Amino acid sequence: MIEDRTPAGQPSADEDAELPRISTGTASADRILGGGFPAHSINIIMGEPGTGKTLFAQQLVFHNAGDERPILYVTTLSEPLAKVVKYLQKFEFFDESRMGTSVVYEEAGTELAEKGIGALVPMVTEWIRTLGPKIIVIDSFKALHDLSPSMAEMRRVVHDLAGLLTAYDTTAFLVGEYAAEQMATHPEFVVADGIVELLRHETGMRDDRFFRVRKLRGSSYREGLHALRLTGGGVKIYRRLVSPQTPRGYSIMRERVSTGVSGLDELLGGGLWRGSTTLLGGPTGAGKTTIALQFTLDGVRRGEPGLYVHLEENPTQLEFLVEGFGTDPETPGLHLLYHSPVELQIDSLVDEMFGLIRERGVKRIVIDAVGDLVTAVRDPQRLHDYLYALSQHFAVNGVTAIITFETARPGITGGYSIDAPFSHLSDNILLLEAGIADERTVRKLRVIKTRGSAHDPRLREVEITGEGVKIL
Amino acid sequence: MSDSRSSADGRATILVVERDPHIRALEALFLNEAGYFVEFTDDGASALEQARRLRPDLVITEILVPRLDGLALCRTLKDDPDTRGIMVLIFSILTASARARDAGADAFLRKPLAEQKLVDTIRQLMARRGEPAAETSA
Repeated sequence: MIEDRTPAGQPSADEDAELPRISTGTASADRILGGGFPAHSINIIMGEPGTGKTLFAQQLVFHNAGDERPILYVTTLSEPLAKVVKYLQKFEFFDESRMGTSVVYEEAGTELAEKGIGALVPMVTEWIRTLGPKIIVIDSFKALHDLSPSMAEMRRVVHDLAGLLTAYDTTAFLVGEYAAEQMATHPEFVVADGIVELLRHETGMRDDRFFRVRKLRGSSYREGLHALRLTGGGVKIYRRLVSPQTPRGYSIMRERVSTGVSGLDELLGGGLWRGSTTLLGGPTGAGKTTIALQFTLDGVRRGEPGLYVHLEENPTQLEFLVEGFGTDPETPGLHLLYHSPVELQIDSLVDEMFGLIRERGVKRIVIDAVGDLVTAVRDPQRLHDYLYALSQHFAVNGVTAIITFETARPGITGGYSIDAPFSHLSDNILLLEAGIADERTVRKLRVIKTRGSAHDPRLREVEITGEGVKIL
Repeated sequence: MSDSRSSADGRATILVVERDPHIRALEALFLNEAGYFVEFTDDGASALEQARRLRPDLVITEILVPRLDGLALCRTLKDDPDTRGIMVLIFSILTASARARDAGADAFLRKPLAEQKLVDTIRQLMARRGEPAAETSA
């Protein structure tokens, strides 16, 4: 029986099935693309120099290299083949044994420079005849514009090439250093079925990289900017967080979770609702980290794995605090995740957090502090969307969350204001105050808001003892 | 049963009805390499006339061809006792295997062109027909 070939009348294997996909070799990029690039399509991988286009393409090539039909990688006028291969060898996905057999490199620049751009389609036809490639990559395709006497000639060649690539059972990737405005002028964008873009933004002293799908015919995909990192393993992409499709589990929300802080559960009408998100604000030294840690450790003692994401205290400082509660930082069920605020990239943090929630069954989570996320994400709308989606995911997964935020020190006499632009995204808001009275630090706490509970709104004194925080 | 004629050099003859120049070019490459003699036409009415005159071993037709579509061409060939024995392979961009069966086609393949699938299908059709198999390239 020949696959896909059927006697007339019987649906062929591919006739009614989902569109076959070509994996990128990066699981999250495949999910962004709805399963990968649709097979038998023409795709553009665009981005400025240094954004990781060639690496992305090479990773895809080696991931799909098999023992059947080969993959053809054509270099043109941008980078010499020797240079491409030299740097490629440093990456984990590179497999030298595939070279020349299942991955075939061809250099087209010299012949095209001699014969002109019109020689491209006959060259590709000959490669199809001799190699029968299942994937064809041309890198850089944009550089071929330099060989064309006019845009009209380039348009003719692109049209002809698209006809050939559509007729034959192959999937094509055209890699190029295109700028966004060239999408409207360059003919390859008209024939492309898929367009993905790799971007780089300067943020302070570091570069943030992103992956974006611009177009994908015949397939749904996740829009927006997805974080991207270049690692020794190749390109790593983190899918942008969006609100879950599953609605909040209100059955979960009917269960109370103790804060682990003496006297606080009573102020909250019996504790926090499971799956709720609480903002815990206050000035430096008011006890935010202590309360949040107490909440995490209380869960661990009750058999609820807890994750403490700390963006300010370094790992040694936090372990010291944990030990101060008489708890071994290595206690099973306790997970401390540190990210330097300098290197913080919100998408990769979220990816790690949800990995731990899935793999370790985390039920309580603390993010200390949201201010560091504000610094890491320049776009306030993006952060707003993130925090909203985050709280929705916590709710769906039954994970009870405390997110701390720093307020300006208002003085102990009150008159403070909540400077937390995300307050409406949370279920509960607790505010700490700290001041000096009679030469001692006085700390107070007020429950500002609880969703679905009657709470005690009075300002209450807070005491920090050897056993932790107590509400007096 | 038709009296299909092989080409002068003994190779089995295939009549291809196709408008897309790239598909035609690739079919010419792969089918010649597989040892077949290939004739081309780009509309159904001409194909019917050629099929009656040439008596090819196989007709490969796209559905979307002018003057007489590929399914009508197939039906006409299969309804005529003189041409009924000509094998017909519908090779189309459309997902139309059921319609191809209703038209009496012997096999259906969907584009794009995958040379191994195409050549394997043709070889099986030729074998079913009981005619001498085409020469195979080394």
